[in-house]
Amino acid sequence: MNMVLAVMYREFRIRTTSLTWLFYDLLVPLVYLLMFGIGLDRAFGGGISMGGETYGYNAFFLAGVLSMACFGIAINTSYGFFVDRDNGIFYEFLTYPMSRAEFLVGKILFNCVLSVCQALLTIGLGMGILGIPVQWSGMVLALAAMVFGTAGWFFFLTGFALRIRRNDVFNTFINVAYFVLMFASSMFYPVESLPGVLRLISFANPLSWHTDLLRYSTIGAGDPGTVALETVGFALFLCASFLFSLQTLRRGVVH
Amino acid sequence: METTENAVICTDLVKVYGDKGKSPVRALDYLSLEIHRGEIFGILGRNGAGKTTLLRILTTLIPPTSGTASIMGFDVTSDPRRVRDHLCVVLQENAVEVFLSVEDNFRTYARFHSLSSEQFRRNADRVMNQFGLTEHRNQKVIDLSGGLKRRVQVAKVFMVDKPVVFLDEATTGMDPINKRATLDAIREQARLGRTIVLTTHMLQEAEELCNRIAIIDRGKLVALGDLPTIKALASDVYDVSVTFEVLTADAREHLQSLPLLKLEHTNNTASFSVKGSEALGIITALSHRHTILHFEASSASLEDVFLELLSREEKPT
Repeated sequence: MNMVLAVMYREFRIRTTSLTWLFYDLLVPLVYLLMFGIGLDRAFGGGISMGGETYGYNAFFLAGVLSMACFGIAINTSYGFFVDRDNGIFYEFLTYPMSRAEFLVGKILFNCVLSVCQALLTIGLGMGILGIPVQWSGMVLALAAMVFGTAGWFFFLTGFALRIRRNDVFNTFINVAYFVLMFASSMFYPVESLPGVLRLISFANPLSWHTDLLRYSTIGAGDPGTVALETVGFALFLCASFLFSLQTLRRGVVH
Repeated sequence: METTENAVICTDLVKVYGDKGKSPVRALDYLSLEIHRGEIFGILGRNGAGKTTLLRILTTLIPPTSGTASIMGFDVTSDPRRVRDHLCVVLQENAVEVFLSVEDNFRTYARFHSLSSEQFRRNADRVMNQFGLTEHRNQKVIDLSGGLKRRVQVAKVFMVDKPVVFLDEATTGMDPINKRATLDAIREQARLGRTIVLTTHMLQEAEELCNRIAIIDRGKLVALGDLPTIKALASDVYDVSVTFEVLTADAREHLQSLPLLKLEHTNNTASFSVKGSEALGIITALSHRHTILHFEASSASLEDVFLELLSREEKPT
């Protein structure tokens, strides 16, 4: 546990050296919700229908923004490996008295705390400014979903960040992956309305599973049975991603 | 497990790098050696000899292809976490937290090595003072010169108390004063019983510091022992210095035509290394054609031995 705390402490020191970084991590999703959400809320004046209920677009999109926030923090944190590699410190870390698992877990735990703060800020201001009807009973589940979402995507991206040696190649990979995952998911619209193949991809997309869980926990939208199944799916995705990144680190990362 | 008298044991270590589409490279080729507790051990070899690969395996950064290695009795492959408990490392590449201050670099390093706040304050002050970093303690590392960054990286390992210290080209980029401070710190740590394993290109540094030396080439052990033992392996080599009345172009040409291992000249003095059996003949030949004011011959330096041993390796058998 000491080592996990040491890695968390290091992440805290690094993150707090840059106000821009903190601003991005904490406030950008909220800005996104305000700008993009308000625009689309006007466009979808009749709201979004799900399971016989109608939700305003801001309420529907809140889960998408939170999901996006987890993915964004995971991208920033996994990209940090390239910065650490450029500074040489990454290899030194691997010689410190800790296991590879402690290293990975410590690295993401601080960022999970950040994602929880971000979620509280976004949900709070979303309720206050946009009047989103968030259900308090699902708050713990929503915050847990933020933690698992951030960790899941971080472990997934870390496996690639450690295998891809060039940061420009990693950037391209992220751009393509994010583009496909984001638009073939329930982040912006209900997947039921998508055409055949896209709908199929969306159902198999962990970003949809995660967004649906967040949507269910924040505004109660979605079928509980389906959401439970998707939660199990995301938990498996998280475990597989963790093993993938752990195996990559254990195999040895050559310069 | 920690009762062994050797801090490091390598047995038949092999490391083959094999990138897709490229022919495999054998960086270590059945390398075996033992490093005793409390000694300063130098690993020498030219670029690409396998030194850094050996260090990466011993510090658990990469696994060996075959063979075994242990640190303080713990196997690097099967028990890497315990191995890392017993070592600290200065890597060849710069490794600093550039966005943090010098003090915060020390602080984060101390946390990873479980130093208490009190130990951190005491040890950080000591090593910052020793390495001339006190005046820079609040500066961000990104604003420091390359030499200062290197000092931060090296100094922090002397803040913690681990039985084995690996130093890969630790003094690279340092000015002579800080190089001296580093060498003094290494000696001091060895006196306290820590085992120091260093790789260096500075043969003079190895000669000055090391209790024992291993010379490796193409992943194989070429020589192993203390300095007199290593020198004895190439006892046939002598360093000769000849001062001419005038070192003419003809004399320089003459020197270049001779079978010398190494040749340098400044003003009217030529310094060269030569095989013992040829030394007398060469000096005689030079004295017949040119006026010699003074000459000196001494046993070879480690550099001469290094060159001699590696040139032997290059010759076809």
